Amino acid sequence: MTRPKLRKKIILLSITVIIEIVALIFFWNALKKTDVTNGQASPALGTSGGLPNLLGDLNLILPISFLVILLGIACAFYVEEWLSATNWVRRFIESQVAFLTGIPSLLYGLLAVAVFFGYAGVFKATLQNAEGSALAGTPFQRNTALFYTETLIFILTVMPVAIKTTQTALRSVETPIRESAYALGATQWQVLTKQVVPRAFPRMLAGGCRAMARAFAAAALLVGIYAWSHTMELRGFPDRFMLFLGGALLLSNASSFLTEIYVPASTQHN
Amino acid sequence: MTTPMQTNSDNGSQNTPVIEISDLKVRYGDSPALNGISFDVYQNEILGIIGPAQSGKTTLLKVINRTLELTPDTTVEGSVKLDGVDIRTIGDVYGLRRRIGMVLPLPVGLPLSIYDNVAFAPRTAGIRAKSELDEIVERCLQQAALWDEVKDRLDSLGTKLSGGQQQRLTIARALSHQPEILCLDEFSIAVDPVTTMRIEEVLKTLQTEMTILLVTNLVQQAKRLANRTAFFLNGDLIEIDTTDVIFSENPSNQATYDYVNGTFG
Ligand SMILES: Nc1ncnc2c1ncn2[C@@H]1O[C@H](COP(=O)(O)OP(=O)(O)OP(=O)(O)O)[C@@H](O)[C@H]1O
Ligand SMILES: [Mg+2]
Repeated sequence: MTRPKLRKKIILLSITVIIEIVALIFFWNALKKTDVTNGQASPALGTSGGLPNLLGDLNLILPISFLVILLGIACAFYVEEWLSATNWVRRFIESQVAFLTGIPSLLYGLLAVAVFFGYAGVFKATLQNAEGSALAGTPFQRNTALFYTETLIFILTVMPVAIKTTQTALRSVETPIRESAYALGATQWQVLTKQVVPRAFPRMLAGGCRAMARAFAAAALLVGIYAWSHTMELRGFPDRFMLFLGGALLLSNASSFLTEIYVPASTQHN
Repeated sequence: MTTPMQTNSDNGSQNTPVIEISDLKVRYGDSPALNGISFDVYQNEILGIIGPAQSGKTTLLKVINRTLELTPDTTVEGSVKLDGVDIRTIGDVYGLRRRIGMVLPLPVGLPLSIYDNVAFAPRTAGIRAKSELDEIVERCLQQAALWDEVKDRLDSLGTKLSGGQQQRLTIARALSHQPEILCLDEFSIAVDPVTTMRIEEVLKTLQTEMTILLVTNLVQQAKRLANRTAFFLNGDLIEIDTTDVIFSENPSNQATYDYVNGTFG
């Protein structure tokens, strides 16, 4: 890719990001208004009550997705670098990954609904314990049905994406690079740490962002479903929904940004 | 060992075999790449290896430094001896690979700085002292005739160099672990004729210190440099003899004559 082309891409991406942010702000306001017209309005919604809730959500979502992504990366390394292409474990993991990444997040949302209503009893009990008024704080507390569903959805949505993108990143390091490092007497570990990972890192980061984006999209969906099934109580819903939706959009942008600006070093010269 | 084959031209070889290859057969899966070849490589000679595409030249080099083991589903039969020791019995494969310098054709990845590229092998071998590394880097870049062009920008990326400079950097890198044998695989593919001449001069100087296996797609390059030349065709060693004989009017095989005179196929 030439420099002017690259600049054009970057400008386009920036414009997309700005449009998305503006759209999100409008959307957010609209959502909050519906909340108010429902007569459930609480003046302190966005400020005092909202922020701790949001932080609480993030506090839970980030570690889970981070762990799941790390696990996915480790899995990809193992599969790509240590197992032969014909190994049945590798074939099994790859087929599962291909299957799971082919499913759009929306279906996972439906799965989540199914799980919810399947365990409706558990769910209701949790809600009752939470005393109605504190509903806004319930969704992402540990040891709730929602928490387990979320974790399950993460493993199903995020991990395959993490595995796949990491594998692609590892494969993007051309064979001659590995071969010439081996020819210099490097061990597999040295080849990985000194040659492969530094070259694959931007792509791995982009893949991590994509996986994270999927995690946030799944979270937005769950919050949406949650609010949908309890329409009388919308407190904290717009904040959450927007947080995750916005997060998903921004992360997927960051991911494409990383892939666009990253030009493999070997194609840079003349 | 004395066979009629060992009549060598003036410079080089003292007729001590460094590499002894006997009945080497290589298969990728079911498709054969080398069909039982045998020959010796002598101390301090330049052995030219010529032959059309797919004839197994690169495969041969990969067998010698055992990087073929990295390709799944390959079978190797027969034996390759380095200084009389079968290379497959050598436990320290990394040590073995450091005894052999391998120059691969461009594009090869040089994702590190010029300095780090040359210091890569010494570092993996455990050399840490800055002064020692500095010395190795300077010596190797000088041997590869690159030092004067890059001595002021050792920290810039290897990929920022021109094609010819990159190829010389791969030579410097291959020399960094002081190999006994230097293998070059079609190094002139991405290099202009002037740089090719410079590298050829470098090889002639290096010949006094090591044995050189020169796989080349330019038959004239073998004619200019090699003491002996081997002609490969479809995984068979058709002929190996002194370069003078191979390039004469009457090599023992008609295919050799056709190939070196460009009337092949
Ligand atoms: N990684 C591989 N997997 C399967 N087959 C291979 C592989 N590498 C080489 N081969 C096959 O082995 C044979 C010899 O290939 P090799 O690369 O050794 O030829 P070469 O003489 O170096 O050719 P060139 O002049 O094109 O470099 C070819 O038929 C090739 O298709
Ligand atoms: Mg080849």
